[in-house]
Amino acid sequence: MSRLFTSSVDARWAAVALAFLTVLPLYVMETAGTYQARLLELFLVFALITMALNIVFAHTDQLFLFTGALAGISTYTTAALVDATGVTVWLLFPVGVLAAGGLGVLVSYVAARLKMSIIVIAILTLSLQLAATEFFQGARSITGGTTGISFPGMEVPFLEEAAGLPPQVVNYYLLLVVLAVSFVLYSRMMRSRYGLAFDAIRQDEVAAESIGINVVKYKMIAGFTAAVLIGLVGPLYATAEGRVTPSAFTFQSVDVLVLIMLVLGGMRTMLGPVVGAALVILINEQLDVFGQWETAVYGLLLIVLFLYFNEGVVPKVEEYAERFELKERIRRQLDRNG
Amino acid sequence: MTTTTMIELFIDGIARGLVFALLGAGITLVFGLGNILNIAIGVFAIIALIATVQLLAVSSSVAVAAVGGLAFVAVLGLAVDRTLLSLVYRKDGEERILLGIFVTLGLMLFFEGVLFVEFPEGFTLSHGIPSLTVAGVSVRGSTQIIILISSIVLLLLFLFLNLTYLGKATRTVFQDETGALLCGINPRRIQTLIFVVSVVFAGLAGILQGFETDLRPAAAFELTVFAIIVSIVGGVRNIRGTVVAGLLLGLVITYANFFIGAFVAKMILFGVAVVVLLLRPEEIA
Repeated sequence: MSRLFTSSVDARWAAVALAFLTVLPLYVMETAGTYQARLLELFLVFALITMALNIVFAHTDQLFLFTGALAGISTYTTAALVDATGVTVWLLFPVGVLAAGGLGVLVSYVAARLKMSIIVIAILTLSLQLAATEFFQGARSITGGTTGISFPGMEVPFLEEAAGLPPQVVNYYLLLVVLAVSFVLYSRMMRSRYGLAFDAIRQDEVAAESIGINVVKYKMIAGFTAAVLIGLVGPLYATAEGRVTPSAFTFQSVDVLVLIMLVLGGMRTMLGPVVGAALVILINEQLDVFGQWETAVYGLLLIVLFLYFNEGVVPKVEEYAERFELKERIRRQLDRNG
Repeated sequence: MTTTTMIELFIDGIARGLVFALLGAGITLVFGLGNILNIAIGVFAIIALIATVQLLAVSSSVAVAAVGGLAFVAVLGLAVDRTLLSLVYRKDGEERILLGIFVTLGLMLFFEGVLFVEFPEGFTLSHGIPSLTVAGVSVRGSTQIIILISSIVLLLLFLFLNLTYLGKATRTVFQDETGALLCGINPRRIQTLIFVVSVVFAGLAGILQGFETDLRPAAAFELTVFAIIVSIVGGVRNIRGTVVAGLLLGLVITYANFFIGAFVAKMILFGVAVVVLLLRPEEIA
C-alpha cells in the first residue's frame, strides 16, 4: 500500500480512513435504515467533489464555481445518451466524464492563457454554472425541464444479490472505490513534481515560470483532473438521487456546500475534504432541529468559517498532534504491536 | 411585427435596463472602492421591498412607505458595513477579494434563509398611476415610475460624484486607496458611505421592480447575478459604463424574451458575461 502512495504518512492515514469507511455502512445498516444509507452516499459524493475542488482551487488557485454544472453536464450527457441509444450506462458514462473533463480543461486553458485572476475565474465559472442551470431547466426536450429525466442508475444487480446488500450500500462502495483511487492519485500527485509545481505556481506565478515551470500546462492538468473526478461522481450522485433533476446541480445545492466542506475540513490536505464533508453532513442532520432555518444557519456558518476558522479541522488536528507528539507515540505503539 | 410593439418593447427594455443599472451601480461602487464583490446585493433589494410592503400597514402612502423601506436597508447596510465588512477590510489584495465574496455569500444565505421562514410569499406594490398612450404606444404606469425615478437617481449619483467634495474624494479612492489616504481622505469612511448608498440603490431597484412583477426571496440571488453581469460588462470600476451596460442588457433581454423565450434570453445574458470576461479579463484585477 505504501508503494502506491509514495508517502508512508499518506498511506497510513488513507488506510485508517478507508478501513473506517468500509465498515461504516455495516454499522449504519445494523442501527438505521435506508435514509441513513442514502446520507452515506451523499457524504462520499460531496467528499469527492470537495477533493476535486481542493486540487483545482486550493492547490492551483483556480476557483471553480461550477462544480455543480460539471457534475450535471456529465450526468445529463450520460442519461440522455442512455435514453437515446438504449446502451447500458456502464458503456456510456465515460462519454459524460469526458464532456465534463473537456469543459474543465478548456476553462483552465483559457483562464491560464489570458492570465485570469482568481476572481475572474470565479465569475466566469459562476456564469457558466448559471447558464448550465438555465439549460437544464429550460431545454425540456433534452433535459425534461424541472421534473428531470429518469436515470437507470449505475447499479450492479449481481453484486447486490451476491452480497445481499441494498442498492444504496453498493453505490456507496462504488463511491468508496473512487475515493480510494483518488487518495492514491492525490498523494502521488502532490508528492511529485506536480505538487511542487502547484506550490510554486500558487506562491508566485511569474517566479514559477522563470524557473521553467509550464504554468498553463500544470493548471490544465489540475483543471482536467478535478473536472474528470467531478464528472465521474455525477452519475453516481444521480444514482443516489434516483432521477436527474436540475435542482441537484445548482450553485446553491452543490458549490456552496462544497466550499464550506473544503474550508471546514482543511485546504491542501488529503483527508480535509472527507472530514469536511462528514462534518457538514452531520451538522446538516442536526440542523433538522432548526428545520426551516437551515439556509440561514448555512449562511452564518460560511461567514464564521471564513472569518475565524479558515485553516480547517485537519491542519488544526495535525498542529495539535505535533504539539503533543501524538504521531511519535502512535508510531511507537504501532511498532511495538508489529 | 408592428412598429408599435417594437417601440413598446424598447420602452420596457429601457425600464428594465435602468433597474439593472441601479443594481449594477451598487456592485460597481463597492467593488471599485474596496474590492468587495457584494454577493448579498440582491437580498437588500428584496428586503427593501418587503419593508416597504410592511410599512404600508402603517402609512397608506406608497411614497412614504418606500422612503421608510429605503431607510431600513440603509441602517441595515450601515450595520453590516461597520461589523462584518470591517473584518473583511482588514485584509488586502486578493485575500480581501476572496474573503469579501465568501462573507457576502454567507450574508446572502443568512438573509435569504430568514426571509424564507418569515416572508416566503411574493411581494408586489401597487402604484395607481394609469398607463399613458401616446400615438398608439401605451406605456404602463409602473414603467413610467421606473424610468422617471431611476433616471433621476442615477443623474443625482453622477452629480454627486462630479460636483461634491465627497464625490471627488470617492473617485480618488476609486483610483488609488493609498494615494487617497495620503491626501487626507479616510477611505474607510468613504467605503461605509458608499456601501450604504449601494444598498439603497439596490433597495430602490427592488421596490421599483415590485411595481412591475412580484418578487420572492428566492429571486435575491438572480438579482445579484444580474447586478454582477451588468457591472462586469460595463467594466467593473466604471460607473458610466455600468449604466450603459445596464440599458444595453435590459434591451437585449427584453427583446430576446419576446422573440426567443425566457430561458434562451437568460443564457444569452450569461453568454455575454462570459464573452466580456474572455475579451477583457484584465479589467477586473
